[in-house]
Order: sequence, then structure tokens, then C-alpha cells
Amino acid sequence: MNWHNFKQQYLVRFWSPVPAVIAAGILSAFYFGITGTFWAVTGEFTRWGGHALRWLGVDVSHWGYFQVIGLQGTPLTRIDGVMILGMFVGCFSAALWANNVKLRLPQHRIRVFQAIVGGIIAGFGARLAMGCNLAAFFTGIPQFSLHAWFFAIATAIGSLAGAKVSLLPIFRIPVQLQKVSSAQPLNQHASRARRHFRIGMLLFIAFVLWAVAKAFDVPKLGYAALFGLVFGLIIERAQVCFTSAFRDLWITGRTQMAKAIIAGMAVGTIGVYSYVQLGMDPKIFWAGPNAVIGGLLFGFGIVLAGGCETGWMYRAVEGQVHFWLVGLGNIIGSTLLALAWDDLAPVLVVNFDKVNLLQALGPQGGLLTTYIMLGVFLALVLYWEKYFFAREARKTLQTI
Amino acid sequence: MQSNSSTIIPDFRLDMIGEPCPYPAVATLEALPQLQPGQILEVISDCPQSINNIPIDAKNHGYEVLEIQQDGPTIRYLIRR
Repeated sequence: MNWHNFKQQYLVRFWSPVPAVIAAGILSAFYFGITGTFWAVTGEFTRWGGHALRWLGVDVSHWGYFQVIGLQGTPLTRIDGVMILGMFVGCFSAALWANNVKLRLPQHRIRVFQAIVGGIIAGFGARLAMGCNLAAFFTGIPQFSLHAWFFAIATAIGSLAGAKVSLLPIFRIPVQLQKVSSAQPLNQHASRARRHFRIGMLLFIAFVLWAVAKAFDVPKLGYAALFGLVFGLIIERAQVCFTSAFRDLWITGRTQMAKAIIAGMAVGTIGVYSYVQLGMDPKIFWAGPNAVIGGLLFGFGIVLAGGCETGWMYRAVEGQVHFWLVGLGNIIGSTLLALAWDDLAPVLVVNFDKVNLLQALGPQGGLLTTYIMLGVFLALVLYWEKYFFAREARKTLQTI
Repeated sequence: MQSNSSTIIPDFRLDMIGEPCPYPAVATLEALPQLQPGQILEVISDCPQSINNIPIDAKNHGYEVLEIQQDGPTIRYLIRR
């Protein structure tokens, strides 16, 4: 394969999402083994909110939530911080390679409302549950934390409500079907494509060099940065969208992303299990009403906003202004949760147990239960797909 | 390989530039039944995520995806009812 073919095939064209999500599942297990923490983003977004408040002169040192998640150092001295930086660079490089960076402005005021309000609800819900689509779902379930199961089920229900609301007439912009007699020319600026590709490569190489140097200095930070870079490449190139995995089950009956995520969690689970058997402690959080309420809010919010906490990251650097607002909403929402935490936590969170399935059911029992539950999820998705299209077929018959 | 032009002549166009997911896919599935069988719809979208939904949704709902052109930030889908 020559360079041109390689570039077109892997750096310009989108990747197939199924192998990409499975790769993310494998990598997230290694990430846990190397850094001792799981692939997560919203905790760090909340810390950004904390830094912003401190910068504005607010004393957040007595806020309980920041004592739970920690607010020491800066994004550049924290594992989560450099990992997220890596993700942004990975997403941005990948988007530049494919000439996929373009300022896309919201076309309608209602979309601006959706992005901000949905982002705030999702950010608040995610942090109430101690995680988002990653820490309380994709990387939370493989940690054997019961709270992630509560969150996943609640998110599915919340996303159904979100799907119903986001298809209400108020959110539907009428589109005209135009009669045409030729295809619309697509304007590709060859010079811009070349320029963007070079900038993307420079950025990518510069970051790799920085991260490798960092790995010799502070190993965990360097590795976290490199993993973040690859996570970023994967989610942008394959357009991995956790929101669509839930939402499109209900809207169009599409199950590909949901199945891919279940497969990704299945491979992540055995990887994390192996590290736990070697003596590492999994990350376990409170399995209380907070995980359920948080999941409901999160599921609703991500669908209204059109993207979750990882989804907005790559879309923001592609130039989709809509997702700058979703990201801002997420940070506002998670900071509001931090503000309300000291009132909510005694009632909803900290008096409930942190349930580690590997302890509650024993190592074999916990592993087996996790795989049985993943199997049940997959069976439900397959059943829903069948039911959805059988219902569609009946509807079509009735209209003929 | 992607080319700048297509030899397929569409009958209708759905211009979804600027609209985020899921609206391009939803509008596509609503537009297709309005075509006569055999007619071709051209969907233009600059939502990159549509690559994972429009083609699969169209196929799942019984339509034929003739061509996908990814050219810079804009993606063109040609779908036959």
C-alpha cells in the first residue's frame, strides 16, 4: 500500500465504528492498568469549573464535592487533565487530516437553547452519578461497580424521554424537499485540504514528542497523554457517539452503536478483571438513588443536546459551534452539582454502599454476573430491533 | 476513491447543512416515502456523525444506498426509494 492509499483509507475516510469501539474497550483496560484510574472526562470538567470559580474569587475549598474528586494542581499535572488534552489533540489532528474542520454555525435559535440546556442537564446528572457515559457506563461497568449498572439502565430510560421531547414540533425545523435534475457539486478546496493535513500532522507529531518526553519525566502523565491521543483519534475517526447508541434505538431502530459498545465493555471487563486479580483496586462508587436520578437526567440531557461528554469534544474541534455550547453547558451543569452536593449527598449518595460486584459476589461470581448482564443487554437490544422493524412493517401495511 | 462529481442523477435534494444529529437522519427517513419507487434522493449533510446513521438507517428501512461521497466537511448520500 502506498502512502496515498494509506492516507485515504485510514487518515481521511471514516473508520468503521464497531472495531473502533472494541479497540477503545481494550485500550481503556490497559489505561487502567498503567495509570491506576479509568478513562473518564467529566470529573476533570468539574475541576475546570472549580478553577474558574476560584479565578473569579469564589472560595471552593470547603465544597465537599471537590474534596471527593480533588482539586489539587492544574490540568497539566493531573492524569485526567493531560489525558483530556491528548483527546482534544487527537480529535483535532484527526479532523484536520480529513479536512473535516469547518466552522458550522447553529442555523436556528432553538438549537442554541437545546445545546445549552441539554448540556447543563447532562453535566449535572453525570456528576450526580459520579460519571458520564465513560466512568458510569463504558469504563464503569468493567470496573464491577454496581452504580454503573443503575446508571446505564436509567440512562436508557432517560434517553427515551429525550428522544420523545427532541422530536416535538418545536424542535423540528421544516425542511423543503427540492426537485432537482443534477447532483449538487461538492466544493473541495484542494489547497485547504493539503494545508489542514500538514497542520494536523505537525500538531500530532509535536504532541507525541511532548508526551514521550513527559513519560520519561512523570511516567503516568506521559502515558495518560498518549492514551488520550489515541482515544481522541478513535472517537473522531469513527465518530463514536454514545448518545446515538441510546437515542437511535428509539428513533430509527438502529442498534449498531449499542452493540459495538456492549462488545467494547465485554473486552474491557476481562482486562480490568486481570488487573484486579493482580491486586489493583477497581474504582467503585455509591450505588444509591444518585446513580438512578443522575442516569435519568443524563440520558435526557444528552439526547436534547445531541451529544454527550465525549461526543461534544470531537465535534467542538471539528468547528461545530453547537457543541461548544454543549461543552459549556456540561461544565456549568457539573459545577452546579458541585455547588448542590453538600445538600444532596447525605440524602441521595453517601449513606448508600459502594458495591463492588467482585466482593459482593466473589471474583468468579462478579465476573460471571457482569457477562450475564451484558448478555441480557445484548439480547434486549436484539429483541428491540426485531420488535421495532416488525412494528414499522405493520405501519407501512396499514398506510397502503 | 472519492470523486467530486457523481454520475448518478438525483430527483430530489434534502439540504441538511448546519443541522446536528439526529435531525438529518430523521428528515431523510421522512422524505424518502414521498418519492416514487425508483426515484433518487440526494442528502447533503455537514454533520460528520451522519456517516454512522443515514446509510444504515436508510438500508434498515428498506431503501437502497447508491453512493456516499465524503468530500471535506460535506457528505453526500444518494439513496433510491
